[in-house]
Amino acid sequence: MTLKRINTVIVKEWREAFKGGKTFWIGTVALPLVLLGVSFFPFLYAGDLRGISTEETKELFEKVSMLFLTPLLFFLMFPMVIPHSIAIYAIMSEKEQKSLEPLLATPLRTDELFLAKTLASVLPALAITWIAFGLFLAVMQFLLPSTVLELAWQQFGSIWLMTLLLFAPLAATFMTLASMAIATRVSDLRTAQLLSSFAMLPILMSAFFLIFQNLLDKPALLGGLCAALLVLDIALLGLNVKLFRREEILTRWR
Amino acid sequence: MIIAENLTRRFGDRLAVENLSVEIAEGEVFGFLGPNGAGKTTTVRMLAGLLAPTAGRAVVAGVDVCAEPQRVRSLVGILTEHPGLYEKLSAWHNLKFYADLHDLPNAEAQIEKYLNLLGLWERRFEPVGTFSKGMKQKLAIARALLHEPKVLFLDEPTSGLDPESAKTVRDFIAQLASEKRTIFLCTHNLYEAEQLCTRIGLIKQRLIKVGSPQQLKRELYGRQIVVDLKEPITLSEDLRLPFVRDVQADGRRLLVQLDDPEAQNPLLIKRLVELGAQIQFVREHDRSLEEVYLDLIAEEKA
Repeated sequence: MTLKRINTVIVKEWREAFKGGKTFWIGTVALPLVLLGVSFFPFLYAGDLRGISTEETKELFEKVSMLFLTPLLFFLMFPMVIPHSIAIYAIMSEKEQKSLEPLLATPLRTDELFLAKTLASVLPALAITWIAFGLFLAVMQFLLPSTVLELAWQQFGSIWLMTLLLFAPLAATFMTLASMAIATRVSDLRTAQLLSSFAMLPILMSAFFLIFQNLLDKPALLGGLCAALLVLDIALLGLNVKLFRREEILTRWR
Repeated sequence: MIIAENLTRRFGDRLAVENLSVEIAEGEVFGFLGPNGAGKTTTVRMLAGLLAPTAGRAVVAGVDVCAEPQRVRSLVGILTEHPGLYEKLSAWHNLKFYADLHDLPNAEAQIEKYLNLLGLWERRFEPVGTFSKGMKQKLAIARALLHEPKVLFLDEPTSGLDPESAKTVRDFIAQLASEKRTIFLCTHNLYEAEQLCTRIGLIKQRLIKVGSPQQLKRELYGRQIVVDLKEPITLSEDLRLPFVRDVQADGRRLLVQLDDPEAQNPLLIKRLVELGAQIQFVREHDRSLEEVYLDLIAEEKA
């Protein structure tokens, strides 16, 4: 396995995706930006809070603490929504352009192809999620007193870190592997998008349920969801390894 | 350069290629003919290291395709039935991608060389989706040649091209053959096969016949001489010379089957003149490869 060949395929995937038109830009850039903007609204209504005393801060935090969970919704969504369109496109475009045979006629190995296609979807999803979280923290720094942020970090820090460092990679991998497996088996782009959206739903609904039931201050529940995702990822990895065999690609990917 | 021994490929219960054995020398243009579904593409895929054979073995460019398929893929070039280019990327980026997969140290020089050679240099930064079918086919040929393979597999290289583009591609293939590259050409275009190929193999799951176009014609039909006469003559025993294998009269035309026309024609003409025939023209009946192909396939079906 050579990193150079993997890197070559990843760059090609991104180059194609960037030229993929508005569907790609809406799904991967515009939507996260809009959602991130929306997450600031509740804090903007809070007005200028930077001059308040420590006592007032604690009192205030009791009242607004739930506001910090709303943006979490988006950071749970990004790693699932972003790789969805990239992963489907990575397979469907090869099928539509009939470019798989010339590609497989090169020294590229199928495990390199699989890894490159997976990373080409997972890496942007993680990068966008983490950058969005960085922006969120930066804007919060500007809108809220540091004492409020400190309290928020004490209460939600572990949830945020679990979401960003555990849930996001697992969810992005799940969505990528599920989308690729579906895309190898259908011949129509819209069908692939629809079916992989269904695959996303149970995970997203579980995550949202945790938030709306105010269960997220119990990190073990999010940990449980991550464990379930890990099991699903391993199962999907096994499936994709079978689907990415050279003979399978040449004869069954239609 | 290519040696296949009893190459066989099954897909489940279906037998795609059965016991195919052939040897192709360096610099040869080998035409591979057969109806749709005869196993041409499967054979190419096995020889190019894309599919493992179910049985048998093959050595391409000195490398065993079963033992080292990845190395075989780095030594051969393939033009697939469909150009299979990335339509949103430019011609340059398409070739750069493949050059990087082959890890070419001189990638940019090679890309420039082949884009110039195939007349695509001026449009190198335009998306391939804006190219005509002929231009895409040329770009796919450039892609197959970037790493300077000694063995080239060309699957229907002129399929769907207008006559001018088809001729350009054919001329280019002839040029490649003159560079001592071994070319394995799958085609349905029998004119093209006759023009370009030193030998032809006919496949229908198994290899039916192999030989030069002339050999195949002679093997199937022998050599037939056409004699055009001013007036029809009646066939008589006098015309049945010992070396004449068969003779038929068709109006003012005589069709005579001979083994060695170069030696036997003077004797034949002498006898005809003695019999009072007024000869206008004498020529060899050149059967088309199409006749050979159709008769061999029909024979195989029967």
